[in-house]
Parts: sequence; structure tokens; C-alpha cells
Amino acid sequence: MPEVDPITREIVQNALAAAGDEMALALYRTAYSTIVRDCLDYSTSLCDANGEMIAQGVTIPLHLGAVPYAMATLFQKYGHSLEPGDVFIMNDPFDGGMHIPDIFIVQPIFWEGERVAFAVATAHHLDLGGRLPGSSACDNTEIFQDGFRMPWLKLYRRGAPDESLFTLLRANVRVPHQTLGDVRAQLAACHIGERAVHDLIRRYGVDTFKTCTADLLDYTERLVSAEIARWPDGVHSFVDYMDNDGLGGGPVRIEVKITVEGDGLTADFTGSSPQIRGAMNSTLSFTASVVALAVRAVMQQDIPNNGGMFRPLTIIAPAGTVVNCVMPAASSMRGVTGFRMADAVFGALAGLLPDRVPAAGEGGNTLVIIGGQREREGRRTSWILYELLSGTWGGRPDRDGNDGLCNPANVASNIPIEEAEAEYPVRIERYGLVQDSGGAGRFRGGLSVERQWRLLQGEAHLGIRSDRREHAPFGLQGGGTGETSINLLHHPDSRPTDTLATMISTAMGEGDWLYHRMPGGGGWGDPLTRDPALVARDVLNEKVSLTAARDRYGVVLDPATLAVDEAATAVLRAARGGRGEPVCSPRAGT
Amino acid sequence: MSRETRLRIGADVGGTFTDVVILDDAGHVWTDKVLSTPPEFEQAVLQSVARLLARLEADGQAVTEVAHGTTVATNAVLEHRGALTALITTRGFRDVLELRRIRAPQMYDLFWEKPRPLVERYLRFELTERLSATGEVVTPLNRDDLAQICARLQQAGVESVAVCLIHAYANPEHEQIVGNTLAECLPGVQVSLSHQVLRERKEYERTATTVVNAYVRPVMQHYVGALREGLNEQGVDAPLLIMQSAGGLTPAEDAAVRPVYVLESGPAAGVLAALALVQRQGLSNAITLDVGGTTAKASIIEDGQIAYSPEYEVGASLSAGNRLVGGGGELIRAPSIDIAEVGAGGGSIAWLDPAGGLRVGPQSAGARPGPVCYGRGGQAPTVTDANVVLGYIRPGRLADGSVSVDLDAARRAVHDQVAHPLGLDLLHAADGIHRIANARTMRALRAVSTERGRDPRDFTLVAFGGAGPIHAASLARELGVRRVVIPPLPGLFSALGLLFSGVEHHDVRSCRLSGDALTEAALAALRADMEHGMLAQFAAEGFPADQVKLSAYADVRFLGQASEIRLPLEDGRPRTDDRGRTTEDGGGRTKDELPTTDYRLLTTLHGAFLAEHERLYGHRSDPDNPIEVVAVRLIGRAGAPDAQTLFRPVHRPPSAVRRSSGLLRSALGSGGHACPDPRRPHSRD
Repeated sequence: MPEVDPITREIVQNALAAAGDEMALALYRTAYSTIVRDCLDYSTSLCDANGEMIAQGVTIPLHLGAVPYAMATLFQKYGHSLEPGDVFIMNDPFDGGMHIPDIFIVQPIFWEGERVAFAVATAHHLDLGGRLPGSSACDNTEIFQDGFRMPWLKLYRRGAPDESLFTLLRANVRVPHQTLGDVRAQLAACHIGERAVHDLIRRYGVDTFKTCTADLLDYTERLVSAEIARWPDGVHSFVDYMDNDGLGGGPVRIEVKITVEGDGLTADFTGSSPQIRGAMNSTLSFTASVVALAVRAVMQQDIPNNGGMFRPLTIIAPAGTVVNCVMPAASSMRGVTGFRMADAVFGALAGLLPDRVPAAGEGGNTLVIIGGQREREGRRTSWILYELLSGTWGGRPDRDGNDGLCNPANVASNIPIEEAEAEYPVRIERYGLVQDSGGAGRFRGGLSVERQWRLLQGEAHLGIRSDRREHAPFGLQGGGTGETSINLLHHPDSRPTDTLATMISTAMGEGDWLYHRMPGGGGWGDPLTRDPALVARDVLNEKVSLTAARDRYGVVLDPATLAVDEAATAVLRAARGGRGEPVCSPRAGT
Repeated sequence: MSRETRLRIGADVGGTFTDVVILDDAGHVWTDKVLSTPPEFEQAVLQSVARLLARLEADGQAVTEVAHGTTVATNAVLEHRGALTALITTRGFRDVLELRRIRAPQMYDLFWEKPRPLVERYLRFELTERLSATGEVVTPLNRDDLAQICARLQQAGVESVAVCLIHAYANPEHEQIVGNTLAECLPGVQVSLSHQVLRERKEYERTATTVVNAYVRPVMQHYVGALREGLNEQGVDAPLLIMQSAGGLTPAEDAAVRPVYVLESGPAAGVLAALALVQRQGLSNAITLDVGGTTAKASIIEDGQIAYSPEYEVGASLSAGNRLVGGGGELIRAPSIDIAEVGAGGGSIAWLDPAGGLRVGPQSAGARPGPVCYGRGGQAPTVTDANVVLGYIRPGRLADGSVSVDLDAARRAVHDQVAHPLGLDLLHAADGIHRIANARTMRALRAVSTERGRDPRDFTLVAFGGAGPIHAASLARELGVRRVVIPPLPGLFSALGLLFSGVEHHDVRSCRLSGDALTEAALAALRADMEHGMLAQFAAEGFPADQVKLSAYADVRFLGQASEIRLPLEDGRPRTDDRGRTTEDGGGRTKDELPTTDYRLLTTLHGAFLAEHERLYGHRSDPDNPIEVVAVRLIGRAGAPDAQTLFRPVHRPPSAVRRSSGLLRSALGSGGHACPDPRRPHSRD
């Protein structure tokens, strides 16, 4: 291997990161489904010749850890028959995938006959067949209900597409032009990745390229190890829950024990619930992603996004549990389990590094899937509105939680109302923040996000994946819990409005509306120590009511001017003795 | 100066300096550089113009055009010093502005703070009304609601109102009613209607852009009004034109109504000037670096083309268009030259963080109080002070001579506030400040080069702005750039660039045309709708239709895709086909029945789209998949002068400074290296 000057190394490394972003842009720009092009539920990366990830586009962090597992199974099966022009496809959670909706497209990249890298594009697809529109449903009980399952297969062999595979895929999905269109978007991303790698090698030579990528992985490992080595050694456990198992049973226990010893970190999920009946079972690859994400997020250094990150981490997740499921578990809705694992890992890390960890946020996106059929240009076609709603952040050690922002585990976006209404027979009647829904604290938890959909024509399937109605987002250091979630289904006739379960597959009629309120973020620190001026500002902006200002924060305001009554506030706070009000009791980790 | 001589004025107002140039018919240039005069930025311009006219012994009538670039609007956004602004939106959507697109600009940052919205929640009002995606009224506008909102706006004393109703791009009727009502009940309050600012689908993008427009509109209106008045007092009644973010000038009256299109006014002029310079030198690849008093800005010219961005953010820690993720600043969906900007300029203040680390910026001493060495009240050491200590800037008079650089004051400030607390000697402390400023500037340079996989070694660095030449050589060395070009008058380069741009207007109409609905006639109707208004606007500005060059573009995608490819629309006007019929409506016909011209246009468009899609993404998607046109855009240009004169030798230097050595020696570094004297251009005779 040649010695490489620092400028060249820096440029190659930046160019790889830029290539990851360029791949992501190409995928975004050519995608068809709203879940990819608006919610941005996809990721792109480049791996070295051995399948170790060398760059990731700024996309979904939770996909980061899945790539090594996917590449390992690809090598097992095809390690000896990778050829130029080959492209692979896979979505099987029991063959290195995450869950049925996530399709991996992998293209080996060759230079003068030698394999030098891989381009990887992973996207969450709108529909891959299965029991219900959108494929994902909390009450699926077997992987076969989750949809069309593809172990690693060659989609292109030496540049030639396997038409039978395309035909089979087209025949097994509800909205073929979107699914096939998004697969092509993934192919476009891989093509861009290949072009970027070729450009780099053409300029710097293949040996320099290899040296730079090997250096990059080692460099990342050194950074991560060095940071963990600076943390205090210790063991901290935390338990959090999902309300139910997708079929009304529950709750589902997520337990994690974090051990920091020297420059290594172990996350042990022993004690978590056995594999559940519903579709929220996580694969080991996804569980590993969560740990990497949480550890990465509390680090103070800027760490390149690549496989070197994983080397100092050890994950223990017993097979047959909700965090490492086995055949034939359903897993299409396992996203929420990932978010809850992240909450638990953060909770445990808060014991180690209290000044770096926020209180719990909304606990992951809510999925709302509305799907039906309609006549279009003389043909009966399926439509599916797949909403991935993002929530809000918990209060932080030095500032409030952000009101209405994607979960840090999921750099996702929202579907513009005007786009949704232009494409689907749905009207969105409300989208905003909810007063008094953030956990009280010295630093307030973010407010809940609410959204309401009305079905304008026909009957439709309605699937919801939400959580945290019984187990509210936790506060830290004396902060209160965030507001819990709710689902209401209203019928235009005189029937009473239904309160729906957090996880449900049901039907929606013409004129019905669904209202969903996401959970609010937990608070951080004693609310009675919150700066009264901040409380007054929240009241002015109708984020906190006058009543809550008094009851939760011990702050008395003039109802007309909203000026802080300093004297009355001091008296009220003194009477509370600086202890939080029972209405928002903090829940500490075990 | 003969009576017949005609003069054109270029005036560029930055956070620290105001630069004014006058160009005569023969290509002679006169220049003036003075400190900016916040908050009355127009004062410096007016004083400079008066001084230059006096020096030329010319009267105001000789001036035929005043072209202006200004950061007044951007600064108002950055510093949250715009007008007290309210937002009226459809019931149920009060928080669209604050929720943004939900996304954070980076992964893994648990301490990221979403920017505070320009209109806080208590000033965001919901109005009962609703339109469908096709523009039909679902819920009629409730006038009682509107009356109540008016009363509350009066009570709150707002200065400006943004109105963005759901689906207003499809039917502006409700917004027009709101606009008329507000005009009646709140006279004097400026109202920005979303369909007039940005007639495009996507509520957040339209709301955010309209809100920024409303937020800076009173500031811009006041500024432009004061400037106009001041010019009139000097007998200058020539048109006042403002540079837009995407290049091209627009009349001041238009800029005052739609300031969101001129936010990046000053930076755009510099890039245009750099492009002209690069083309003249026969180069095709350049990185431009513009370092002023407050910020450093970088942009890329590749294959002779400026990079544009359809939207960008103001106020993100690193502002750069065309990046994958947004959310860090105020979103502006308006075309702009793609510029990366960081808060590192000559005025950036050096300070020590609580851990004893040396930091530079982003706070700037600006024009007031300015660097310590200017002796105008500045107390905190700045990058300029460090450069003076290092010998990169000579003591003595600067700019128009009104600023005097005091070496001892600079040395004292750097010593007392940086060197002494850190236990460093003076020169090492000053060098540290200089190098940290470079490192910050490097972020902008990388954002447009290495971060996009572009190797800076393939590019020429064109450095300008007051402090650009001082930092260019060491930045170039670090980037591996082999050639640095410093234009004559680097400090006045942007002002000069203003004089080489014509008047330009942009307009857009959202649509959804595919299948049978996609016809030449449909495209022509959209174009005609815009063309009429645009030609009327040009006519009012003194450009008859035959002097206006109109270019139409279509935003095309495969039906159902996320984003579009912009393609030139060769000719979207109705025209006579081979059989002499006017083709007004091609709807419902099969391909064979379509008039030939129609068929050709759409075939060309389709072919161009497939080719471009393949070039960009390596595949043609499903070639049978229909294409969809989602917007038609019109750009009109008129009156662009010849750029030849831009680089003629300077005539009659205005500065009192006459001679210098031309080269200074750095007091530090490997044996000292030559660096340019920023006054050098003034010293030519």
C-alpha cells in the first residue's frame, strides 16, 4: 500500500462522504412513493471490497448498522460469484435484511476486473404485497403476512436484468409503478455511487483509494475507542415498555444493560420480552443499529459515518426475543421497537453521562396507512397514503426540547399537505402543536404534534402504529413525563366518535375523519426551577396555559399582560418546597 | 468632464464597507470605498456618490443608471431585526411555519436547536376558509373571522403581514380578499400574499418564503425609499436597480415589494464579476472567494457555468444550497447563485472560550465599532487587527483615507486580550487568529469543492473582497490550488460586477400536465399568462418588447416522481400549423392527430428529458412511463452591457495613497512569504 499525503486522504474521504450524499440525492430525486420522496425513509452507503461500510449519506441513522449484516449474508451466498454488472436485491429479515418493506439493492463496483467497493441503497417501500395495503400491520403474526419475501437474489446478471424477477415482483405488489419506480431510484443511486468511486480511482489510482478507505475505518475506530475510554467505567440498566404486542396483549418489555469498560462498550438486552405475536419483532441487525446510533449521538467528537464505528461495540441480544427474532416472526412494524430500544439505551447512558442525554422524546414515528381503490382513466387502481409522522424532542440538560422535529434516530421529513391532497382522496384538516403536552421541567419537553385526515371517497383500510398511551415518555432529573398519545375515529353519521387502540388495522368510511395526537417529550430537571420568563413566553405563545404555568411550574402571571408576578411566584414555589407537583411525577430508570 | 458624458454607478453595500464605482462611456472607472453606516446604510452610498460626482465635476443628470447590491435584507433576517410580522393561514395550520419540514440538518446531534420562527406563535392567526387541491372552495372565507384577525393585528401593532392559505397557488381568490381587507383596515401595513411571492405547491416552502418576504419588506422599503430620495436630492433621477440573488437587476420598486428575491444581492454580483473575469482569461473552472468584513463566501464555476440553487437557507451555521438536508436556517425558495457562506471576515472578533480556547467569530465588529486598529471605538481584537500585527495590512490610511490603521492599537488589543491570557507571544497569537479565520473560511471552500467530490487542484481561486487577497495564498496552499487570481480593485470587485448585468425578471406557474392534458396549447397558456405581465413590467421599466429576451423552461419529471429536471421550452406559444390553423387546444387528440408543431415541441421535450434523466441518474426509468410537467418558468432579460470594460486599467485613482512597495513581508511563517498589499490597485497610476 502506498503512503498517502494528508491532503489526498482528506479529499478522498470527503469525496466518499459526498458520494454518499449524491447517491441519496439521486434516489430522492427519482423516487415515486411519498414515503421515500417526502418522508425520506431510505439510506445510501458505500462499502469497501470486503463489505465494510466506508460512507453513508445523510439519511436514516437506523439503517447504518444494518448494512454489515446484509453484506455478511451476501458474501456467504455470493462471495465467490460476484461479477461486473451484477446487482443484488434482498428484503428478507432472515437473510440479512431488516423487515419486509426495506429493500436492499447492492451493486459490486469493479475496476479493471478487480472488485473495489459496493454501492448500497436501502429504501422503505410503500407496499410489497402481504395481508393489508402498505404491507406493514401491527397485527400481522407471521412474516408471510408481512409481504413478498426476497432472500438475496441477482436482479442483474452481468448487466442483464432478470426479467422474471421483475415480473414476479410486479405481480405481487399493490401499486407496481411506485414499487418498481422506487427500485429503479435505488438502482440510480448505486449507479451514481459507482461513478463516484470510478472518478476517484481514475484520479488517484486504485492503491491510493484502498489505503484511504482502510485508513478511514481505522481512524473512526480510534476516535470511538478514545472517546469511550474517557467515559467513566460502569454498568447502568434501564427498562422501558411498548404498550402492547400488536394484538392487544402486553406490555412489551425492553431491558438494556450498558457496560463501559476501558475503551469498549457492551449493550446487553437480556431480560427483554420473548418474541411477540405481532409485527414489532426486531432483527439483531436493527438492534445493533440502535446501539450504534445512541452511542454515536452522545459522543462529543464528530465521527465519520462508517463501519469503524461498530468495532468497539458488543451487542448481546438473545435469539427468540423481541430484540432478535427468529422464523417465522413478523417484523414489518419493528420500527417502534427500535425507537423504544433507543429510549432505553439513552436512559441507561443518562446514568453514565447525565449532562449529555435528553429526556425521552415522542418515542418514534406514528405510522398511519390509509389505502383503498379508485377508478383512474378507466382502470381500477390501488392507492396508499403512507404517513410517517414525526414528533418532538425531550427536554435537554441545558435547553428545551425542540417542538415538532423528527426523532434523532430517524432523519425523516413530512408529507406536504398540498402534495398529499393533490394525489390522494384525502383532506388533511389539522396539523400542528398541542398546548400543555410537553413534560414540565427546568427545560420543557417538546409539544405533541397532532394531525387529522378525512377520507373523501369510498371505503379504505386504516392501519395505525402508535404507542406511549400507557407508558408516557419519561422525564429526567425531576422532569415530568410528556403527554400520551390518542387516536380518534369520527363518523359523519350520529355514531359516537371511537377511541381506537394504539395499534390497529381497521376500516374508514367516506367522510370519516381520523385524529391522531402524538406523545409529547419528557421534561428535564425540576419544573419549579424553570426561568419564569420562559414560562411567560410559552404562555404568550399558547404553548403552555395559564393554569399549567401555575400548577406545573409554580409561576403566577397577570392574565391580561402575562407579566410575571414575582412575589406570588416566589410564595407559590416556596410552598411547593422545590419539589415537583405530583401531576407530573418523574419516572426514573431502574 | 464634458456635458455629453454618460455615467453609470455601481454601489455595493456590505456589513463593513460600502463600495461605489462610476463608469463612463469610454470605460474609465472612478472608485470610492468607505465604512458602511448602519443602520442608515444608504448614507454611505449617498456620501460616496456625492464625493465622486464632485471629483468628476459632473452633475447628477449625467448618471443614466444606478445598479445596487445590498445586504440590508439579509442582515435583517440574520440578526432577527426585521419588522414585527404576523402570519395569516388556513384554520388548522397555524404551526406549519414552526414545524418546517420536520427534518434536522444533521444526524446524531442531540443538542441541535431549531431556529426560532420569524413569526412567533402568538402572531400566527388562523382564518376559517379552505380550498381543494384543484382550487375549488371547500369552506367559504369567513369574513367575521377576518374582521377579528384585523382587530388583533391592529392591537398587536404589526408592521407587516404574510398571508399563506392552503392551495392558494391553485386559486388566489381567498388571498386576494384577505389582501384587500387588510389594505382597508390596516392602511400602511404591508401585506405579502403567498401566490404573489411564490406561486408553487408545498405549503411550508411557500409559507416560509412569504414570511421572509414580509419580514424584511418594511426594512427594504424604507431603505430603498431613503436611497431614492437622497439620489434625487443630488439630481440623480436615473433608474435605481437592485441585484437579485440569481443575478440580474430589478427596479428598486420591485425589490421593495418582493425583497425575498434580492436577499443575496451583494454576493451574486461578485460571482458574476468573477465569471466574466474567468471567461476573459480563458479559464473554465474557478472557485470564487469573497471575504468581506463580516463573512466569507465561496462559490464554484465549473465548465464556465455558475452553479444555481432553486432554494437556500439564510442563517444556517454554514449556508450552502444544493445540500441534501435543510432545516438549519430560514428557507427561501427563490432562485439564487449557489453560495456557501461562513461568519468569518476581517471584522470577526477573536475571543477566548471558558476553557481557554482561542475562537474567532461569528460575532463581527462590523463597521461600528469596527476593528480596534481603525480607532473608531472598537475594543475587541479582530482578524483585521491580527493581520495588521502580522504585517499583512500596512498601518496608515485605508479606504477613502477616512480610516487610519493604528498598528500600536492593534498590537495592544491582541496582546492584552489574546496573547497575554494565553501566555503566547504577540506574533504567535496574531498568527493563531489568522489561521483560525482561515480554517473557518475553509469550510465554505470545502462545501463547494471537496464536499461535492470536486478536487480544488483542478480550479483557479479567484479571491476578492477587502480581505480576500490577504487570505487567498495560504488558503490556496492548504487546498492544493495552484493558481490564484486577484482581480484589479479586489475590494471593489462586486461593485464593478453590478455594472455588467442586465435587468432580469423571473416568474413561475405550478401545474400538473400529463397524458392528454399535456399539450403545447396548455404550456402556451401558462406562458402567455406570465409573458403578458412580464412584458408590461419591462415596458414600464423602459424596455420595449423587442429589447426583451424571454426564455421559457419546463420542470419535467416522470409522472409521480419527487423532483424535476428543468428543460428549456423551445417555444410554447400558440402558432400556426402546416395547414394554417391556429392550434389552441390539442386536448383529447391522439398523437397522429396533433398539429405537427405541437407534436415536435412535446417530442423534443420528452427526448430531452429522457436524455437528461439518463445523464444525471444513469437510467431512463421506465421509458413507457408518461412524463409530467409540474411548472412552467419564464425568465426575461434586457439591457445587459458588454463586459469588456470590466478589466480595463483604472483611470484616475481617487485614493490619496499613491505608492507602496507592492509587496509586504509576512512577519511570521516559513521565512516570510510575499502577500499582496490590499491598497495596491489604488496605487496604480
